[in-house]
Amino acid sequence: MLKVESLQKTYPGRRGDPPVKAVDSVTFQVKEGELVGLLGPNGAGKTTIVKMICGLIRPDQGQVLINGFNMTSARSSALENISAVLEGNRNLYWRLTVRENLEFFAALKGKNPKTLTSDMEKYIDFFRLEEKINVEARKLSRGMQQKLSIAVAMIANSPILVLDEPTLGLDVQASNEIRVLLKRAVAEEGRTIILTTHDMSVVQDTCERAVIISDGRMIADDKVHNFLELFKAKVYQIRIRGHLTETQRLALLSMNEVAVESESHEGTVLSVRLEDPKILYDVFAVLGQENSFIESIDRQANNLERVFLEILRRSGGGGQETAVI
Amino acid sequence: MAKKLLLFKAFLKKEFILFRRYLVNSIGGMLTIYVIFLLLLGSYRGLVGGGDHGDTVEQLVVGYVLWFFMLSTYQDVAYTLRREAKEGTLEQLYMSVHGFGWVMGAKAAAGFFVNSILVVILLRAVMVVTGSTLNIDLLSIVPITIFTLIGILGIGFTVGGLTLVFKRIESFTQMIQFALVALVAVDPQSVWWVRLLPGSYGASLVRRVMIGGAHLSNLGFWECAFFIVISLGHLGLGYGIYRLCERKAMSEGLLGHY
Repeated sequence: MLKVESLQKTYPGRRGDPPVKAVDSVTFQVKEGELVGLLGPNGAGKTTIVKMICGLIRPDQGQVLINGFNMTSARSSALENISAVLEGNRNLYWRLTVRENLEFFAALKGKNPKTLTSDMEKYIDFFRLEEKINVEARKLSRGMQQKLSIAVAMIANSPILVLDEPTLGLDVQASNEIRVLLKRAVAEEGRTIILTTHDMSVVQDTCERAVIISDGRMIADDKVHNFLELFKAKVYQIRIRGHLTETQRLALLSMNEVAVESESHEGTVLSVRLEDPKILYDVFAVLGQENSFIESIDRQANNLERVFLEILRRSGGGGQETAVI
Repeated sequence: MAKKLLLFKAFLKKEFILFRRYLVNSIGGMLTIYVIFLLLLGSYRGLVGGGDHGDTVEQLVVGYVLWFFMLSTYQDVAYTLRREAKEGTLEQLYMSVHGFGWVMGAKAAAGFFVNSILVVILLRAVMVVTGSTLNIDLLSIVPITIFTLIGILGIGFTVGGLTLVFKRIESFTQMIQFALVALVAVDPQSVWWVRLLPGSYGASLVRRVMIGGAHLSNLGFWECAFFIVISLGHLGLGYGIYRLCERKAMSEGLLGHY
């Protein structure tokens, strides 16, 4: 189990700038065998939290417990229970082959590569790296490299995995493959996984729970299913020809349920959250004042991205322009 | 301890794999070191004229080989930190269960092993080309060299730590290469406080063995003890500075950045 308790981190200001509070009293826990998404806009403090969990940044206050071991006072024992793939890093030696990377990082985690032969074969098979086993990491595709990074993190059998943006920069096929592998790692091996991502579909597809961070604070922590249920509402997308007039814009944006999703010479797209059906008549009335031409009205499916933006909007943490569910 | 040995073997294997995989580059590096020596030797002979220069050429041979060994050891720590940070693997090393101090120790030990082989080849090659005869008393040379390099590791840790915090300090780190020449060259017999500098005392002891024909037992207990204390002191001081820098880097979230 991973416990994050009252974590706080403030970075000192540079060149006369004021200090920056990156993380403010964040508390959550991830139970054994759970796959949890850590979400938040850029600069929310996700990476700082991830690095404090991994023992790479020292918290000002609070503690991280990895299977009961305090990351600060029992660092070595804590590190035996956690592995990570960090965003923006290669996490691999590019001039070593797939097998050599697996062996090296196993030793780094205190495992004898020779006793890991069966595990090695298992992960090579699990990540479908058989054909690339003797290929240098630098010669692999981006998707393969990412799979190898995760395999390297898993080879030492650490029960907890931290994955920072595991699908960033991958094509759709590679991203889907990673999603399937993560779900299998939890279902078949009982691994505990915490991942950060900008791609809400990854969380919606793979995670049971999501923890949402904004401005260094935790603003929501619930099951993904509950988030979707909680914010379940009919959303309609109205596409009109041309631009809105200033009067129309002001009138529409004064309605909490309406947001302008996009505006270009091709047309304007509005999102309307239908908590009260009467709102549609109000929207039509505003559009009718200037004889705006409605090209289409579509019902939108609820998804985690909309939920995320709505939560941020309600917390005052941004996303006001487009936050509609 | 068995786990630490595993770590050492992992680094050693990695060093040999990369040496073999990039053999042309590896041999090119060794040839460069050899050619630089030949140029130095040629320049020296050109300056002082022909004839027999006895001990002076042997001083040059021992000094050059020692400098190469010290430089490689220094770079193994100082440059490794920068390279790992640049390549995005430093944070993985920090997440090792062994602790980062042991990781760098294993890396340095593996580097020592590989460098020893290169130094033996280099020494043999320069002895052949200069026709110099040296006292190769391994029982005396190996322990003195190890403790000399332990002191140099202190410089490596200091520079590595500063790199973690200040990042781009290449001009400073390159300066150390030349400072190592001075540390090897100065004579601690003439200026007493030179003995306190990293590498200097050890270099003079190696010269006494290899050129003067002395044996470890001739050096005396107190001299050896003083030398060991100085070397360990340099390592301790360097590692202490490194830990302070590491603490600052971890506190300010600078660890993996480059």
